[in-house]
Amino acid sequence: MIQTLALLHAAYRELNARKLFWITLGLSGIVIAAMASVGLNERGLTFLWWQFNLALLNTQFMPVDVFYKIIFAELVVPYWLAWVATILGLVSTSSIFPDMVSGGSIDVLLSKPISRTRLFLTRYLTGLLFMGLQVTIFSTLAFFVIGIRGGAWEPWIFISIPLVLLFFSYLFCFCALMGLFTKSTIASLLLTMLFWFFIFGVNSGEAITLAGETANEISTQLSMADLEEADEAGDPIEVTGPLTERLDQDQASLATWTFAHQIAFGFKAVLPKTDETIELLGRILRENAGMNVERENENEGRIFGVSQRISQREFEERIQEKRDSRGYFWIIGTSLLFEFLVLWFACWRFSRRDF
Amino acid sequence: MHDVLETNDSPMTESPTIDLQEVTKTYRGRVHALRSVALQVSPGEIFGLLGPNGAGKSTLVKIMMTVVRPTRVVGTVLGQPVGHKPTLARVGYLPEHHRFPQWLTGRQAIEFAGAMCKMPRRARVRRTSELLDVVNMTDWASKRLGTYSKGMQQRIGLATSMINDPELVLLDEPTDGVDPVGRREIREVLARMRDEGKSVLVNSHILSELELFCSRVAILVQGTVVRQGSVESLTRESCRYELTVRALADQLQGIDGASVEPVEAGISRLTLKTREAADVQPVIDELRRREVTILEVASARDSLEELFMNSVTDPVTGKELQPGAGRKGRSDVASFASATPPPPPPPPSAESEGGAS
Repeated sequence: MIQTLALLHAAYRELNARKLFWITLGLSGIVIAAMASVGLNERGLTFLWWQFNLALLNTQFMPVDVFYKIIFAELVVPYWLAWVATILGLVSTSSIFPDMVSGGSIDVLLSKPISRTRLFLTRYLTGLLFMGLQVTIFSTLAFFVIGIRGGAWEPWIFISIPLVLLFFSYLFCFCALMGLFTKSTIASLLLTMLFWFFIFGVNSGEAITLAGETANEISTQLSMADLEEADEAGDPIEVTGPLTERLDQDQASLATWTFAHQIAFGFKAVLPKTDETIELLGRILRENAGMNVERENENEGRIFGVSQRISQREFEERIQEKRDSRGYFWIIGTSLLFEFLVLWFACWRFSRRDF
Repeated sequence: MHDVLETNDSPMTESPTIDLQEVTKTYRGRVHALRSVALQVSPGEIFGLLGPNGAGKSTLVKIMMTVVRPTRVVGTVLGQPVGHKPTLARVGYLPEHHRFPQWLTGRQAIEFAGAMCKMPRRARVRRTSELLDVVNMTDWASKRLGTYSKGMQQRIGLATSMINDPELVLLDEPTDGVDPVGRREIREVLARMRDEGKSVLVNSHILSELELFCSRVAILVQGTVVRQGSVESLTRESCRYELTVRALADQLQGIDGASVEPVEAGISRLTLKTREAADVQPVIDELRRREVTILEVASARDSLEELFMNSVTDPVTGKELQPGAGRKGRSDVASFASATPPPPPPPPSAESEGGAS
């Protein structure tokens, strides 16, 4: 315990010494201040002392507390914490492992009565400490902003701490592995960014193929309904023929999209679920903190200019339904499994290696 | 090309602090860093580990400190098998080119080392203050390591290696970058540790320094121990008497047991390979009979540096052995050493293969 505390204390001193920790914290403060500066009233939005009248965004459309929760869960966390702060966090922590395994430094640590596995995992935890402190302070400030400005003291806001930390840990475990292998801060950081970009690519590919599959499902169902209707009405072959042909085309297209989606989903299944982990915040707040918006006023637009038959609302609902059907275990469990495997491999390599 | 010379001039009455029966390390690519190295260090002894660059000195120390995993190791450190992690709480280590986090102050670095050795807070705070005083760094204790000179960092490094009041200290180039005053202080610290019954193993290139404070040394060449024993015993064979006389070398022919060499114009030196003063008397008598003026009579022996140079020089070719570890096959030293009897079989409990830690 003395050793663990010493390593954590040393990590805290390291954070203190590195300006980037305080810069990130300062920027987080500005983001929270900006969030607090935005308001909602019966006429529309306010920013500081300015009033922006909006017909579609006012307290008649959504309560003030829901407004702040949405800003927090749909804007601030995904874009600030899960992008900018994460990049700053990776920049700040990517040197932990290359520094540790550098000549002269690793000799000092390994010559102490601490196992290599414990040393590695404790150093890994110290890396998470950076993001942990950042997101804890950020969420606490957000809690007060939502409480004071929105009038809702919502403890579920703090669920963002483990979720953002999980998200960061998926990337940081990879960064640790790369740092161990390359012994270079720049190389490990760039490779982690590349890995993140790869995950983003796979996620985007999966989202596109899911959208294609869903659109074709709806289209196929509509074609089947049209054909059944024509059959029931006893329409001649001149009418049912084109309908059958369209159904065949839709089914063929659906099969192609389904196949493409299965491949993309297969890739995604073994990778950490970065998008879904952050989206869980919105899902949890919707389920537990009343972060719901009535969708009656939403337009009934059509998607895919080519296929004017599919309503945007139905399409979005189906997509959301499919994404929501992915359980917590699948999202977090498989991601943690990936993290576990990466850490296990890194630990094994660290334990076997000569320095 | 070298015989392994081991002198038994320091009988161990207590169990040795370091008792290595066999340490072998072969890196991937069949680089033989260490070949069946055996050495013993007693309590209260300062032991010097010498060798040219790449001889395997640091690898041997790192194996004892679990930084490098041995291919095969049979031996103990403080009575426990090499690689036994809890034992490291009783060992101090100063690596060569050590690097502490630059944002720590001197005091924090020493305290951190103490915490990593599981020392309670109060004990390590007290001990840190003592050690800062010992290494003469109290005035700089609150300054960050990044502002220190190399010598100051070395002093702090030495303090970190002693924070846990170790029974054994392994120092890899401890005086590297330290000024002469600092070196003398370090020697005094080592002498104090020796007097307290602690063992110190020093790995250094500065042979004149090692000669000053090491009770025994081992010379490692191409991963093999070629000499081991006290400096006195290892240089015993080179003991001689040197007589400087005013005479030409031709005038000194025919003196039994003496070799003659000219020193300068009209001055020559006679060398007698003996430790006994009595053996010199007949030669002096003969010189007087020949009416040769004797300028100086001195007893001499090889320095550690000369011993070292002899150890790393091929006696056949007279060339220095290749630096570095042996590659693929057997080194010159190993081929010679292989002719020597194998070490005694180790106790089964102290044996481990394929790595410690």
